[in-house]
Amino acid sequence: MTSLDTEAALRGRTSPGSKYVSLARTTLQQAIAYRITTFFNVGLTFIWVIILYYLWRAAYAGRASIAGLSWDQMRTYVVIAYGINALVGWRTGTAMMATIRTGDVVFGMVRPLNYCTTQLARALGFTVVEGGISMVFTLVIGLLFLHIQAPASVGSALLFVLALIIGFLTKMLVVFLVSLLTFWTLNGMGLMWSQQAIMQILSGTIVPLALMPGWLQVVAKVLPLRGIVSTPLEFYLGTASGWAGLGLLGLQAAWLVALWLISNLAWKRAFRIVEIQGG
Amino acid sequence: MSPIVSAEGLVKRFRRPQKGPGLAGAVRHLLRPRHETVTAVDGVDLSIEPGESVAYVGPNGAGKSTTIKLLTGILVPSAGTVQVCGVRPHLDRQANARNISVVFGQRTQLWWDIPVIESFRLLGDIYAVPGPEYRRAVDELVDVLDLGPLLGVPARQLSLGQRMRCDLGAALVHAPQVLFLDEPTIGLDVAVKARLREFVGRMRVQRGLTVLLTSHDLGDIEELCPRMIMIDKGHIVYDGPFDEVTRRFGWEQKVVVTLAEGASGAAAPARRALARISLAIEETPTGLVVTFDSRLISSGEVIKELAVALPVVDLALEETSAESIVRRLYEGQLSFQVTGDVEAER
Repeated sequence: MTSLDTEAALRGRTSPGSKYVSLARTTLQQAIAYRITTFFNVGLTFIWVIILYYLWRAAYAGRASIAGLSWDQMRTYVVIAYGINALVGWRTGTAMMATIRTGDVVFGMVRPLNYCTTQLARALGFTVVEGGISMVFTLVIGLLFLHIQAPASVGSALLFVLALIIGFLTKMLVVFLVSLLTFWTLNGMGLMWSQQAIMQILSGTIVPLALMPGWLQVVAKVLPLRGIVSTPLEFYLGTASGWAGLGLLGLQAAWLVALWLISNLAWKRAFRIVEIQGG
Repeated sequence: MSPIVSAEGLVKRFRRPQKGPGLAGAVRHLLRPRHETVTAVDGVDLSIEPGESVAYVGPNGAGKSTTIKLLTGILVPSAGTVQVCGVRPHLDRQANARNISVVFGQRTQLWWDIPVIESFRLLGDIYAVPGPEYRRAVDELVDVLDLGPLLGVPARQLSLGQRMRCDLGAALVHAPQVLFLDEPTIGLDVAVKARLREFVGRMRVQRGLTVLLTSHDLGDIEELCPRMIMIDKGHIVYDGPFDEVTRRFGWEQKVVVTLAEGASGAAAPARRALARISLAIEETPTGLVVTFDSRLISSGEVIKELAVALPVVDLALEETSAESIVRRLYEGQLSFQVTGDVEAER
């Protein structure tokens, strides 16, 4: 009876919703349909957090700080970094690639939609479910058992949230760009794995940027990937403030705009390649 | 009335990488890539009036799908112009997308894991269909396609026939002007096929929907499309009424001869008897099949000659149907060169 009621409600909807919000909502429903997978993903992610946590604890034995980070800061970093990393999950990227590989991408083309925004909306849908659960799980376990710190201040908490949102969009666009490579390579698993590895290193998920060797630090500091994990965490821990913080936000925002433009351009290019697969 | 779908001198060339076999070939391609140019669509002219229903027929690889992709804005033409509802699809893909709808028999546009009605709602939102119109459209589609019991079911749990019905419904939620159907009845049973054809025909009459159908199922074409366009190797070889294709290409006729004592050695005397024209003679266990060009010799004359030369038990003139012509096109046995030297041979 209830399903009939919702059907009636859906059929009788009075005005069209925003198309991209509606898309995000549908993806959300889809993500819920796979809740077992979602819980698995979250659980697996967390095994990594535990491993890293104990590795760092061993490294800190008898030391007050490493690269200017205290053990309290470091364990906070490790746990939250993984929470952030899970915001745009594995499934978002593989879902994008799957539409290209199976040719379902044509439906993205015969509809009045901007493809890039469509992917963003879909990623958002996945994130609300997968990333949301993951984030809540991380924070609860982290606060209760792993003794992570609260944000340095209310201000840094707000900056953290802002940087987190920009970081989410950045990661989404990077994943989108990588998935577009599928148009050329046709097989994406290897791409996805390498992307995952590179992103985890250069975003500062595994090791904070400050601990990287000099040359890698330079690379990581310029690239947009730091904006995904490292920058929000610097705000959270209060290690970036004043002009430094402003610089970080500026870099994040500039990269976001650049990536958006590149993504749309790359899509247009890829659009011309489709022909080969279409036959 | 001006045409709703038109194309002039439409050309689509693909650059396809030429790779040698094996690893060596792959490496060589990496070092010095070589490409060949394939012309999938070669100077196609189309003109379809609003409300028309046209079948677009041709063997695999003839350029059908490529044409559809050019008309839907998925591909950018290499040369020529194309216009759908006054919009040039590749230049304004989104505007074009609002006017058209595409149904692929082999892939679904329904969201796999969520109830069908959710897909409908999402499509309604994507095309910004206003409330009352949306409700009217969905009610009508549910009624005509009998979708009621399926609305709450996720697409992945539907049978192929049910899925196709839902897919057709989903394609019409935003009341498109032109509907592209790409092999819509593939794999469907007879009853479902009949139902889908009836539905498309009905939408065409009621809504003035323009339909462009590609199908390998001649039943689809015969029932839905008075007009047929045949394409082969990127060229349009026929554009006209379905029935009339026989008049145009039906000059190849067949006489099936049953002989008294089997076919042994019967081909030679038959050939001698009809030596003045070229024809194809095929031996069968019971006799011969003689294929000839009816523009060069009448069937009566062939039968007369054969009856004189051979111990004929039975003769049957095989009728050339549109179906057999399309089948021959598919088998690559039909040459569409209009033989201008027919007169000269005579």
